[in-house]
Amino acid sequence: MTTPADPGPARADVPDPAPTTITAPATAPPTGAPAGPDEATVVTGAAATAPAGLEWNRMHPVTPAVKGWKVVVVLVVIAAQQFSDDVVQARDLLAGRGWLVALAVLAGAALLAFGYAALAWRMTRYALDDEAVYLHSGVLFRQQRKARLDRLQAVDVVQPILARLLGLAELKLEVAGGPGSAVSLAFLKEDQADTLRAELLARAAGLRRQEGQPAESAPEQPVLEVPASRVVGAMIRSGAAVGLVLGLVAVAVIIAVTGEPTAALALAPGFLGVAGVFWSQFSRDFNFHAAISPDGIRLRHGLLESRSQTVPPGRVQALKVQQGLLWRRSGWWRVEVNVAGYGGAQDSAAENVLLPVGDRDEALTAVWLVLPDLGTDDPRGVLTAALEGTGDEGGFTTIPRRARWLDPWAWRRTGYRVTERALLIRSGRLVRRLVVVPHERTQSLGVEQGPLQRRLGVASLAVHSTPGPVSPRVPHLAVDVAARLLDEQTRRARTARAGAGPEQWMRSAVEPGPAS
Amino acid sequence: MSTPRPGDGPFEPDGVDWQPVSPRLATARLATTAIVLGVPLLAAAVTAVLTGATWVWAFPAAIAVLGLWIAVLVPRQVRAIGYAERADDLLIRKGIVFRSMVVVPYGRMQYVDVQAGPLGRAFGIAQVQLHTASPGTDAAIDGLPPQEAARLRDQLASRGEARLAGL
Repeated sequence: MTTPADPGPARADVPDPAPTTITAPATAPPTGAPAGPDEATVVTGAAATAPAGLEWNRMHPVTPAVKGWKVVVVLVVIAAQQFSDDVVQARDLLAGRGWLVALAVLAGAALLAFGYAALAWRMTRYALDDEAVYLHSGVLFRQQRKARLDRLQAVDVVQPILARLLGLAELKLEVAGGPGSAVSLAFLKEDQADTLRAELLARAAGLRRQEGQPAESAPEQPVLEVPASRVVGAMIRSGAAVGLVLGLVAVAVIIAVTGEPTAALALAPGFLGVAGVFWSQFSRDFNFHAAISPDGIRLRHGLLESRSQTVPPGRVQALKVQQGLLWRRSGWWRVEVNVAGYGGAQDSAAENVLLPVGDRDEALTAVWLVLPDLGTDDPRGVLTAALEGTGDEGGFTTIPRRARWLDPWAWRRTGYRVTERALLIRSGRLVRRLVVVPHERTQSLGVEQGPLQRRLGVASLAVHSTPGPVSPRVPHLAVDVAARLLDEQTRRARTARAGAGPEQWMRSAVEPGPAS
Repeated sequence: MSTPRPGDGPFEPDGVDWQPVSPRLATARLATTAIVLGVPLLAAAVTAVLTGATWVWAFPAAIAVLGLWIAVLVPRQVRAIGYAERADDLLIRKGIVFRSMVVVPYGRMQYVDVQAGPLGRAFGIAQVQLHTASPGTDAAIDGLPPQEAARLRDQLASRGEARLAGL
């Protein structure tokens, strides 16, 4: 095992803490990693060795202070949980000199946390060239990571509350290499993060510029905006709110019957939970803005932790428009997307939302953001039928009547429609749902048939998409229809892939051909 | 009957020549079943002998019936597994009661795994698994002779490279 190769002059002043404990990342990609360095989106280890002559940068020096705090907060929370059950015991412990000991322990832990964060900061460096971003990190276990820019799926600028107060931001690059494959540059100065994002997107887009000229952020045009009042309205018309009301009624009844006001305490944890859900939902969707730019879709949202996402063109793998029963009166819809690299993490609820709540026109706009050309002459009519229609209006093919035994409630609505660009899957009667999969984003196709389905002569077709909230599936299609759709989708996906735009989305626009 | 009838909906695409997997897979699966069920069967039988009560024999009997049922089922299941290499995609079909088929375009493959456990190696079979960017793609072919597995792996890799597309 060798220490990683000297990446550049920036490392010269870094002392090796303990050479015997340093483990160089394995030279072979771990099992489960994409085969071969050519195709891998994230490479670690020897294959990630950066070319010489790169300009290496450090994160902002305040980073350890911001990261170290997390550890302290976690410790305090754990201590609070330990003693919340037994307040008396905690009081005894803190009596006399006890609080001094507690303070000393906390100070020691904080010192350790900040010390480690400082060391980690010293060991973390990043660099970029035209093809990739390189990130070297790790104190004991060193990691050298290389993320190919042509595989860039999304770029996020995330600002947790503390970083935001200090004017810092985290830059996150999603490259679809599986869980934990995102390259996170934390923390940078706000303007530095913005410049770097513009630079990365320009390079990923394949824009050729003169040397030394900084990349400019692509101009953007605001498209959608969700007012805070509607976020609150959407929460009021949600299942959690109904649960809350039922809970309150139950408490009122119990108190009225037993005459014991303390009964309310038993339900306190439940209310706290609901309040937590509401709060995280509100702070996530607050100030939601969507815009379109040559670099793709831009989303901005968040109350305390603000998040600014950029999803380049063609990176949305599938999309879902959904309306719960309680939203029907107000005509609201929610739009979620699959983007490779998003999802899987705990942030998925924050990352995969294209429109948290909006009316039908806004939902249609969200669909348009992903698919500017739906591939039909009358996209509005088709989408309206897809969202609210039943039967074969809008050119939909529904499941046969005999499938009502398997889908008694929504069989009239469940169906699909194929356009030149995408497959539209409509389903659900109480919760209306529309799933759109662009043909060129189909990963693989599957058909399934259980014994009951076999008796009824139906089969389910699934379109496999990248991990995320959308799993496209048409249940209970007549067997001959399923066979035809499978065959046609296979062909359409192939043709669409062949004709799909380049991974570097500005390439075709910048280099129109040899003639120019 | 394990072979589905022609014209049987989506599971019988036109002009597809299905390749069966090795019947040794059935043997390997039965061996696994024998190991998994054999130990409880023995324990139950010993308990029955020691206690001497007649009703206790119900336990080993139940395990034996389960084993027999699996022994009938497994060869049929193995016969129902088939794969076919088409010009642009790989088809994998399995199941009799719960049937499924998956179509994986070569250009969508991210990587290919070849696995062989100790039992598989003893019986001379290996498993080839295709991975796309979707976790929903359940494309594993179990019970391939090692040289066929290696051929298929190389074939898939080279075809995938020729047709590779972005996500």
